[in-house]
Amino acid sequence: MDFRKRYYSKKNDKKKGIDPAFLLDAKFEAGNELVVLFGRSGSGKTTALQCISGLLEPNGGKIIVNGDIYFDCHKRIDLPVQQRSLGYVFQNYAIFPHMDVKKNIAYGLKGWKPEDKEKRVAEMLQMLQIEGLENNYPSQLSGGQKQRVALARALAPKPDILLLDEPFSALDMVVRMKLREKIKEIQRELGIPILFITHNHVEAFTIADKIIIFHDGRVQQTGTPEEVFYNPKNKHVAELVGLTNIFEDTVIEDKNEASGILKLKCGNLELYADIPDSKLKEKVTWGIRPENLRILPLDESEKNQDNTIPATVKSIVNKGASKVLALKIAEHRNLLIAELANQFFEDFDIKVGDECLVKIVKGKIVIF
Amino acid sequence: MLDQIGFPLVITLRIAVLSTFVVALTGIIISYILARRDFTGKWLADILVTLPLVLPPTVTGYLLVILLGKNGVLGNLLYNITGWTILFTWEAAVIAAFVVSLPLMVKTTTAAIESVDREYEYAAFTLGRKELETALFITLPLARKGILAGIVLSFARAVGEFGATLMVAGNIPGRTNTMSISIYSAFQAGNNELANMLVIILVIMSLLSMAITAKLVNSWKI
Repeated sequence: MDFRKRYYSKKNDKKKGIDPAFLLDAKFEAGNELVVLFGRSGSGKTTALQCISGLLEPNGGKIIVNGDIYFDCHKRIDLPVQQRSLGYVFQNYAIFPHMDVKKNIAYGLKGWKPEDKEKRVAEMLQMLQIEGLENNYPSQLSGGQKQRVALARALAPKPDILLLDEPFSALDMVVRMKLREKIKEIQRELGIPILFITHNHVEAFTIADKIIIFHDGRVQQTGTPEEVFYNPKNKHVAELVGLTNIFEDTVIEDKNEASGILKLKCGNLELYADIPDSKLKEKVTWGIRPENLRILPLDESEKNQDNTIPATVKSIVNKGASKVLALKIAEHRNLLIAELANQFFEDFDIKVGDECLVKIVKGKIVIF
Repeated sequence: MLDQIGFPLVITLRIAVLSTFVVALTGIIISYILARRDFTGKWLADILVTLPLVLPPTVTGYLLVILLGKNGVLGNLLYNITGWTILFTWEAAVIAAFVVSLPLMVKTTTAAIESVDREYEYAAFTLGRKELETALFITLPLARKGILAGIVLSFARAVGEFGATLMVAGNIPGRTNTMSISIYSAFQAGNNELANMLVIILVIMSLLSMAITAKLVNSWKI
């Protein structure tokens, strides 16, 4: 898939040659796997999905699914939505409120023989584990059940590709986790590409075979969850995957190829990090995940160790299993955000306003 | 007296039912287009449809007389083809009722169709259904409460139509004297007994149609 969609803020902007207010430029491939399109709202994920489905017409490029050309700007091909073999699940389910579950699921089975229809609906009910609900109306279903019906309806006509637009965002945690497992199971069973939109990084990480990161209408990085989460390519990706501590304008003071260690200087802050595989620019940005910071008591003997800096606790937020600390460091105006398991605080009582030492774990620093 | 009540009642119902039927059909099509399509001159179409709602009925009636009269554009055409003039017939009253009630139908139905979430239509498209099928089986059923409201309002408006009808169909006893017009002429002639009867019948009819509609709507979940 490789396509572009331009949005203009006013109708006449295009004629006047004014640059579009938003430009989506998406290029990616998806095999028979679960691909997560991940990005903030407004980054172009939904637009991308709508272009693939044919609900929106791109301005250029190509969309090919399973060998069928859905859209080709040069060949002037634009297959109508109805002729594209795809399943689409909307954020708000969009199951027809005036039809019961059975009718909803059978709605895409136009031209099937009645007995085949019946059989397919039964298969879908079983696959999504919603047997017994076939005569219920959507108003009688819970959110999770509605989403299962929406999935069953999308899968019933045996699509070549399944598109899911933030399907679980309105569901509670437990239902969400169950449905994530279900989606993975369905993908393995059917062996079709599934494109799954989310802006929740936990969801993206747990479900994806491949992640495509969108920012500002462009694909920023593509890779397995591990690659993307632990080796973000740039600042946008880093922010999206929860790498909250990002420091720009850092110069490389020394590069010791023999030991593989890099000396960084960021403001008054001096740090040591491992030399990354990627090529280094003159000025770099580095970052560290909140869980890769260590907190130590303010102890004079520790103070002069590498990557260990004094800090003051600005705030503590309890997240249940862990606490998130905002730390003010003397060397830099940015706050450092650290996340530590609650267990840690059993031996080390720390309050807002306390001073401590922060250790930035050398091997965990990401440079880009 | 039964005769004086019977004819107006029958002719009024005939005019109202026929005009409402045509209003419902054309109104749904116009509303769908206004709600779901973008085209140049959409604002003009919207104004033209709404105009009879704001114009005094006598003005609407006068314009219809000009249009439908023997020398009018449409009237002349009709006369040349069939040798028949529509003015001062009950058919003219149907046209008058149609023109004045169409805006009520279009306004309510357009709003009802606009309020149907487009995602339902998109879902139907992705399931292989064409726009016409989607409109008939998804959009319109989901907008049916608003559509029914439009039909009831149009019917009531057609039953109560007075000004434009008087202009195009006149008040010809036994031919075009509808209920509203008969009430007026009975009152003018000092026949209060007849006027009272006609008024009671009209009020009962209105209450009945409202009650039936409310019951029907309540039985619909969506």
